[in-house]
Amino acid sequence: MELPLFRHNRPNRVVTFDEYREEGGFEALKKAFSGMSPNDVQQAVMDSGLRGRGGAGFSTGRKWSFVPRDLPGPRWLICNCDEMEPGTYKDRVLLEHNPYSLIEGMTLACYALGVRHAFIFIRKGYEKAAANLARGIEEAKKAGLLGEHILGSEHSIDLDLHLSAGRYICGEETALINALEGKRPNPRSKPPFPAVKGLWQGPTVVNNVETLANVPAIVANGAPWFKGLALNPEGAGSKLFCVSGSVKNRACVELPIGTTLGDIIDGACGGMRDGRKFKACIPGGASTQFLKPEHWTLPMDYETVAKAGSRLGSGGVIVFDEGHCLVEATLNLITFFARESCGWCTPCREGLPYVKEILTRIENGRGEEDDITILREHVKYLNYTFCALAPGAMAPLDGLLRDFEDEVREHITKKKCPFKG
Amino acid sequence: MPKLIIDDIPVEVAPGTSVLEAARSVGITIPHFCYHPALAIAAACRLCAVKLLDGPVKGIQMSCALPAQDGMVVSTTDPEALKMRSLVIEWLMLNHPHDCPVCDEGGECLLQDFTIAGGHSHRRYQGKKRTFQNQYLGEGIQHEMNRCIECYRCARFYQDYAGGTDFGVMGSAGRVYFGRFQEGPLESPFSGNLVDICPTGVFTDKTGRFRARYWDYQFAPSICQHCSVGCNTSPQNFQRETIKIVGRRNDQVNGWFICDRARFDKGYLNDPQRPREPRLDGATCGDDVAVDAAAKSIAEFVRKNGADSLALVGSPRLSLEGMVLLAQLARAAGGARLCYFGDPAQQQGSVAAARLLREENSAYVRDIEQAQWIALHALDLIEEAPMLALSVRKAFLAGAQIFLVDGDPIPARNTPPFKYTAVESLDQVPFEKGGKGVIICGAGKKDPDLLAQIASCGAKLVMLQPGANGFAAGLLAQEHAASPLADLVAARQVRGVVCFEADVPEGLLSGLEVLASADWRRGPVEAKSPIFIPTTTWVESDGTAINYEGRAQRFQRSRLAGLPLKGLDPKYYGNATEAVTLHPPRVHREEVPGGAERDAWQVMAQLIARLGGEPVVEPLEGKWSALRSLDPEGEGIRIFEIVAGE
Repeated sequence: MELPLFRHNRPNRVVTFDEYREEGGFEALKKAFSGMSPNDVQQAVMDSGLRGRGGAGFSTGRKWSFVPRDLPGPRWLICNCDEMEPGTYKDRVLLEHNPYSLIEGMTLACYALGVRHAFIFIRKGYEKAAANLARGIEEAKKAGLLGEHILGSEHSIDLDLHLSAGRYICGEETALINALEGKRPNPRSKPPFPAVKGLWQGPTVVNNVETLANVPAIVANGAPWFKGLALNPEGAGSKLFCVSGSVKNRACVELPIGTTLGDIIDGACGGMRDGRKFKACIPGGASTQFLKPEHWTLPMDYETVAKAGSRLGSGGVIVFDEGHCLVEATLNLITFFARESCGWCTPCREGLPYVKEILTRIENGRGEEDDITILREHVKYLNYTFCALAPGAMAPLDGLLRDFEDEVREHITKKKCPFKG
Repeated sequence: MPKLIIDDIPVEVAPGTSVLEAARSVGITIPHFCYHPALAIAAACRLCAVKLLDGPVKGIQMSCALPAQDGMVVSTTDPEALKMRSLVIEWLMLNHPHDCPVCDEGGECLLQDFTIAGGHSHRRYQGKKRTFQNQYLGEGIQHEMNRCIECYRCARFYQDYAGGTDFGVMGSAGRVYFGRFQEGPLESPFSGNLVDICPTGVFTDKTGRFRARYWDYQFAPSICQHCSVGCNTSPQNFQRETIKIVGRRNDQVNGWFICDRARFDKGYLNDPQRPREPRLDGATCGDDVAVDAAAKSIAEFVRKNGADSLALVGSPRLSLEGMVLLAQLARAAGGARLCYFGDPAQQQGSVAAARLLREENSAYVRDIEQAQWIALHALDLIEEAPMLALSVRKAFLAGAQIFLVDGDPIPARNTPPFKYTAVESLDQVPFEKGGKGVIICGAGKKDPDLLAQIASCGAKLVMLQPGANGFAAGLLAQEHAASPLADLVAARQVRGVVCFEADVPEGLLSGLEVLASADWRRGPVEAKSPIFIPTTTWVESDGTAINYEGRAQRFQRSRLAGLPLKGLDPKYYGNATEAVTLHPPRVHREEVPGGAERDAWQVMAQLIARLGGEPVVEPLEGKWSALRSLDPEGEGIRIFEIVAGE
């Protein structure tokens, strides 16, 4: 069966507007505008079982359903393209090859949600993707697929591209909304949730790029088709896995939900690099726990990965082999999170540098027995932060202490990193 | 009304009350830094963690951001909550310098209190403390960013509450910085509140640093005398010197805050050049000698020229007690004339405002804050009543329309913290019947007809008085049919004056004989007066002031009168050659150097006794006796009923 997201991709270049249309692009939009009500579109997304692809994995249809329909004033749709988590680069690959699925998906989502004006919030560094989107928006407008009176209907939808200055915290949806309003990107307290009070206090839906890019195929082919793409019965659709680390081919691949970890590494990525042995991987971006060799046959779906003690997250897989020091790897991730804290709440702002300091000492052979206790305190108490950044940052540390405590202790007792000569 | 249990104590609170406030209502203080009753909830510091044992929410929660709900069982002492709170302190102390001994906040520092209370005493973190460059924030406030615990109170107050735009937060993660966006002093006229609102020593009062610790200060509830708003303050005094002035909460007047004039403009109180000694014909004399001479001089003058050619001159600087006794003194002097104002225009406006305002139309602060339309009538609000600008801002943020009617362009330095539309007349302000409108104007120098016209609009009224106690002066001037001094002089009706804390311009004085004067500051009257009796300032006296809305408030003596020890003239040391100016004197004295001042009303009471009048035991008699029991720490009372009941 043909998977929806990468099927228009050309090697080494972006698909053109004409090519996309020739291959069935914008047919979903025509279908929706000619015979489906906004509710039909929303119902199709609900039935498809599509879950947020940005990391949290929340049901997209349910998220849409939280938007109150009877409030006066505008409501908003925002595409979250602030892809900054270490190991995650799927949205970049998607948009650098094909901006049209997202544009069509957002137009459909606007139609379903009754949104007049939508935004794409794209991070710094994604200039190529932004250029593709800017061009794509113009092309779609010229063709009457976006802007005033889409396809001659009474519906008008505008799509604006916002180039962010780029901070990891802008991926948090309420921080993103603040950033879009021109304020400091500190997260807002919830409730009220953005679906009720978001951008400029109006009802707002924030969806990831990959999530929205799935919508045209769902509308075109129906929810049962989408559900059927997955290899496991609970799953739905396909997923972009962007693999990095100790594999032969580091690549972003589209695979059915439910593909096993082993199949991703041995299949699409051509196996481990240089005959190394698989030690562990982070399955879904930097804020997920490690998976281990025993998870080789684990179907990569939200529920199954969660049961294994980790999260499917964004699909950013970082593979470690037996020569890798996971203390160093965790330190690397914590360094990122400590730098990217917005600085609003104490545990995140001060706790992450604390963890970083301890891991640095352990990695450099200056760790102490008490350090493990302090790290465990942080794993527990950094859950009580204002937003999900610090709890996410603690996931790899939690995994490290849970599955690789011996490795940490070896650093402390040997007073050096056992992986360094 | 949600019912919950906090530490085994059943609590019932109004809907929307947070668990932190609910706990406070039964005497449990949950530690907090970012929470401040006047500011929006931030939930940033995470110190107010409690554990919910049962009910609709469970586990560790931030009590400031958690609305109390039925059935909640809250523990503030659960080990997990205690651990969380001790970790928050540990996190904050990773970078907070251990410089308490040289920090002016020491002793009044929330971080000190909660660090001790939180049980964090052992440093486990081995990294270095982060450091910042400080900024020059002007002559009022000292900046020490290294001490910052990032509670965001300063930025939330400065920008959100006070509408300032030049100061705020910069940077992110562990490099969050609170400061000005460019070089230069803070621009907000409310910047001094950063000192009060910072829970630690990032912002300290530069005008009073390193002089004393919190426990050294003499405090008393006081009322600011800089304008007719009557903000509640606490002067902090040490060794007969007012070191700092901080805001004191009164929700009916100033909320939690005060303006920079109230806080920083205090040099005159401590001025060693203040006239402190009684004087007779240019020579220092004893207190009784001066009072005797004054009484004799008054009696003599009245006998020679008749009582109606003598005027007793007061001013809105006097306390209500002084104003009441001034009238008694006039009677004791055989019916001398009475002046509460020098300038006729000022008296007209003040009297008209005091007459036009009633319980029904005099705006409460909450009327301003909840108004739908506010008209500023020919008024530079930041100049005349700064704190009201914050009340207007609250209304503005809630959607009120603000108009500047018939006003001169407001100078840039006094740009108010809200947007307004300039219109030419009150007709252009859309006051609707039944709507909530407020008109704010200055009463001093306004034509009474215009004030009456303003009062007839049906809106609630704010008529700002000339001077801190202008309302009382207006009331008493009306009651005693007092005339402005300038009118009496122009009509050649008086030839001699006795002045009490009155600022008479030199021009008016030229044809007058000044018999005696009593004041706490120098001026042309004091210079010309052959008999001079020093009085106390509001910091050194007890008294009552009535603010623009007719609210009587009691202020208390917060320190003894007398020369500040610092810089005391060596003549008081017994050995003029000894270089000991910064050290307390080693010579024992019975009296306080320069401490001969008494409250103006006490001077008047003595004169009344000398002139054969009824001895004064208590200055507030008759209808005013209702104000004797006024609680200096209360909200004050509006006097309309008292005045109407006479």
